[in-house]
Amino acid sequence: MTVTDNSINAAASASISLTVNGEQHRLELAADTPLLWVLRDHLGMTGTKFGCGIAQCGACTVHVDGRATRSCMMPVEAVDGATITTIEGLAPRRDHVLQTLWLEMNVPQCGYCQSGMLMAAAALLDDIPAPTDADIDARVSNICRCGTYPRVRAAIHRAAAARNGGQ
Amino acid sequence: MTDVLLNRRQFLVSASVVAGGMSLALVSRTASAGTVSEADTVAEFSPWLSIAPDDTVTVYVPTGEFGTGSMTQVPMNVAEELGCDWAHVRAEFASARRDYLEGGPYAIGSQPFFTGHGTDHARMPYALQLGASARERLKAAAAQRWSAAVADIQARDSVLTHIPSGRTLRYGEVAAAAAMIALAEEPALKPQSEWTFLGKASPAKLQLPGMVDGSAAYGIDVKVPGMVYAALLQCPVQGGRLRHHEPEAVMKMPGVRAVVTVDRSGTAGSPVTAKATFGLAETAVQSAVAVIADHYWQAKTALQALPVAWDFGEGADWKTEQQLYDDALARLDEPAAMVLREAGDVTAVTTGRAVAADYLTPYCDQAPMEPLNGTALVTSERVDVWTPCQDSQQAYWVAIDETGAAPEQVFVHRTLVGGAFGRRSFSEDVRMVVAIAKQYPDVPVQVIWSREEMMRQGRYRTLIAARMRAVLDAHGMPLTWDARACQAGNPMVSLPLGFADAVYAVSGAIPNVRIGTTRHPYHILTGAYRGPCYNSHAFMVETFVDECAVAAGADPLDYRLKLLADWDPAWSNCLRVAAEKAGWGKPLPEGRGMGIAIANWPMAGMKQAGSTVCAVAQVDVSRDGKLTVHALDVTFDCGRFVNRDAVLAQLEGGVIYGLNMSLSEEITIRDGAVVEGNFHEYRLLRMADLPARINIHFDALSGHDRFAMIGEAPVGPIGPAIGNAIFQATGKRIRSTPLLKHDLAWG
Repeated sequence: MTVTDNSINAAASASISLTVNGEQHRLELAADTPLLWVLRDHLGMTGTKFGCGIAQCGACTVHVDGRATRSCMMPVEAVDGATITTIEGLAPRRDHVLQTLWLEMNVPQCGYCQSGMLMAAAALLDDIPAPTDADIDARVSNICRCGTYPRVRAAIHRAAAARNGGQ
Repeated sequence: MTDVLLNRRQFLVSASVVAGGMSLALVSRTASAGTVSEADTVAEFSPWLSIAPDDTVTVYVPTGEFGTGSMTQVPMNVAEELGCDWAHVRAEFASARRDYLEGGPYAIGSQPFFTGHGTDHARMPYALQLGASARERLKAAAAQRWSAAVADIQARDSVLTHIPSGRTLRYGEVAAAAAMIALAEEPALKPQSEWTFLGKASPAKLQLPGMVDGSAAYGIDVKVPGMVYAALLQCPVQGGRLRHHEPEAVMKMPGVRAVVTVDRSGTAGSPVTAKATFGLAETAVQSAVAVIADHYWQAKTALQALPVAWDFGEGADWKTEQQLYDDALARLDEPAAMVLREAGDVTAVTTGRAVAADYLTPYCDQAPMEPLNGTALVTSERVDVWTPCQDSQQAYWVAIDETGAAPEQVFVHRTLVGGAFGRRSFSEDVRMVVAIAKQYPDVPVQVIWSREEMMRQGRYRTLIAARMRAVLDAHGMPLTWDARACQAGNPMVSLPLGFADAVYAVSGAIPNVRIGTTRHPYHILTGAYRGPCYNSHAFMVETFVDECAVAAGADPLDYRLKLLADWDPAWSNCLRVAAEKAGWGKPLPEGRGMGIAIANWPMAGMKQAGSTVCAVAQVDVSRDGKLTVHALDVTFDCGRFVNRDAVLAQLEGGVIYGLNMSLSEEITIRDGAVVEGNFHEYRLLRMADLPARINIHFDALSGHDRFAMIGEAPVGPIGPAIGNAIFQATGKRIRSTPLLKHDLAWG
C-alpha cells in the first residue's frame, strides 16, 4: 500500500455555481467531474443513481434547465450556472402525479432505476401532455432490469389522462 | 449529508469514532434524533417483533429486500394474526450477528437470511404464529389492566376492546406489559378461510414511498461521516495476478489518499467455524488494485491513470468463447461423470425413430442496475460493513473470515438492494470491500465497481452444453430419453433443476430414462442467475420435446398433454389455458409461428410443488430474418397467492427477464477476458423492445394449499416458447441462445 497526504490538492479545479432544487451552491472541484457525482458525493443527494456511467441506462436522469439529462457523462463545467431538478425536488410533498400513480400502481420492484425513470417521464409529460406509445418508447429509454416497463407505460398514460382531465 | 443513512434502525457512527476514537459509540438514529424515551420503551415480543407506545409494529425480517417484496410479505404474515392496522407496520432488517450470538432466533426455514421467499413454507406459519402469540399477550395484558376475562376482549385494527363495557386500549398502551407475559400455550392459527388480509389485500411494498422520492437508501447511498471512496480494478482475465503497478504515478493526483493491492493471501480466516449460508469456497478475492480518494470520481480518474501489468494466467489461453463452447460440447462425447437419474435401460431399445440434438446456453451477466458496492470501517475494535447483499448471514461470515475478527466484533448493516438476480448471493463483493478497507483502517471506505468492472468480473450464469437423444415408438412417443450435460460452473451453481427432475423424466410416460451431468468449470467464474441452471435446462428440454413432437408429426401442445397425461393435472391445465388464451391452432399467415413451453422452479419432479409456468409465444420472422415477438401468453400454478399484485409483478418481471436472457444475452471472450463491459455491448431490453402484448393469466391457478415462490419460474419457458415459434414460422430449429445471434432468414 502507498499512502499520500495530498488530499487537498486542488489542481485542475474550477469554481462552479449550480441551483439544485431551488437552492444555490458554489463548488470548487475538478471541472470534468460528472454532474452525477457532484450531486451524490459533493451535495449528498443520493436519489440520483449511478448505473452505467456512459449515459446508456438513464438511472442518473435529472432535469437541467427543464430538459431530461443523463448526468453521469455531463461534466459539471458544462452546466455551470444551470438550474437542476433532481428526484428529491420533483415535487415538494411527493405528490407529482407520476409519483402518486407510481405508488398506486405499485410500479417499482427493486426501485433503483425508478428516480431516473420518473425524471424522464416527468420531462416527457411536460413536453408532450398526451404522449403516444411511440413517444414513450422514444423518450423513456431507461433500463429497468426488474422489468417494470408495462407498469411504467401504463402509469404514464394514466398520468397524462389525469393531468389533461384536470385542466 | 451525515444523515443519509439506511433506515431508522441502522446505526450511525459518531464523528469522534470516525476520527479515530477508541470506543465506537453507536447509537440508533431514533435516539440520535432525540426520541430516546420512545426508543427505550419499545416492547420486544420476539427478536422478530416489537411494538412501540405509538402502536408502531416493527417486524425484523431476515430475508431482506431486492424488489420481490419479502420485507412486506413477512410483516403481512405477522399482521394477519396480530390484528394490527397495516398503516402502523414497519419492516427492519434482522441481524445475522444477533442470530449467531443468540443461538439462531431467525434460523427458521431454508436459507433464513437469503433474500426473497416471504412465503417459505416454514417461515410463513412461524410469522403467523408470532402475530397470534403477540395478539394473545396483548389481550392478556388488557385483561390484567381491566381485571377482565381474556375471552371478553377483542383485538382488531391495533385496538383492544372489552366487549361487555366497550372500553378500549391501543396496542401501544399495553405493549410493554404484554411483552412481559408468557402464554401457557400458543394460540391456534386461524384457518385460511378466515384470513381477512392475506390473499385479500395487495398492499404495496413498505419501502415504495422512498423509491419514488429518492430517499430510499441502497448500498451505494450509504454515507458514513469521514467516508472516502475506492475505485477497483481486478485482473482482466479471471484467475490472473497483479504483476506490477506504479502507485507513485497517481499519488499526487487530486484527492488521492492511497493505492492498495488485494490478494487472497491477505485473507485472515475466521477464528471460529464459519456458518456462511453458501460456504466460503466461492468467495475468494481476485487479484486487484484499488485507488482510495476523497471522492469517487477522483479515485476512478486516478485508477485509469495507474500503470498496471498483469500475469493473465492460464485463462488467457481461451481465445474465444467458441473455443469454450466447442470444448464443453466435446465433453459430451464421454459418458457423464454423474448419473442423476436412471430408469429402465436406454440402451435396450435399438429400433425406432431417433431424435438427437446438441444444445448450448452461454455465460450471461445478471446485470442488476445498482453496481456492486459496499462500505466498510475496520478498526482494532470492530468491523462495520454496509452492503446491499442478498444474504446478510453470508456477508457476515465473509467479513469475519476476511478480517479474522471475532464474530461479536463484526456488524453487517444490510441495505435495500438495487437488483440482484443472483449476483449478490455469495458476498465475494463484501470480501473485496473489506479487503480494501482493512488496509485503510479507522476510516470508512466505500468501494464502487464501475459498470465495466462489474460486468467483466462477473459471477456468470453457468455455461451449459447438453446432448439429448430419444427413440420414438410407432405412435411417435418416446421409448427412451438419454440426456447428458456439461455444466461449466462451480459446484454451488451447477444445479440439476429442470433437468434431472424434468417432468418428462418422472411423469411415467417414458419408460427408459438416463440423465447425467459432468461439471467442468473453466476460469470464467460462475454464480447464481435467476433460476440457476433451470433457466438453461428449461430451454433445452422444452426445445427437445418440441423436436420430438415434430418428428412424431404431432401438435406440440397435444404431445405435451400426452406426456403429462398421468401427471399433476395442473400442468396440463396450464398448457390448455395458455394455448386457449393465445388462440392456439388457428391458421397463421406465412412467416408467423406459435410456440409453447412449460417448466417449473424449483420442483419440476414433484406433483403439486414449486411454481409451474407455461408460455405461448407468437412471433413473426421476416424473410430476411427479422424476429418480432408479438405476444406472450403466460399461465402459472404456484398453488395460491397471498398478494396478487406482488405475484403479478414477479411474473411480469420474470417474463421480461427470460425474454432478455433468451433473445440477446451472451458474455463473449477474447484471450480469456470478458469483452462486454457496458450496456451498449450487453443489450438489455428497453420499453420500445417489448412485445406488444404480455398477458399474464391467473386462470390456471390450482388453488392447491401452497404459496410457492414465483420470481424465478417465469424465466424458464419464455426462450423455448419463442424458439419453438421460430421453428413454426421458418422451419429453422434454434438450439442455442441468444436467439438473435442466429440467422433466421428463410424462404
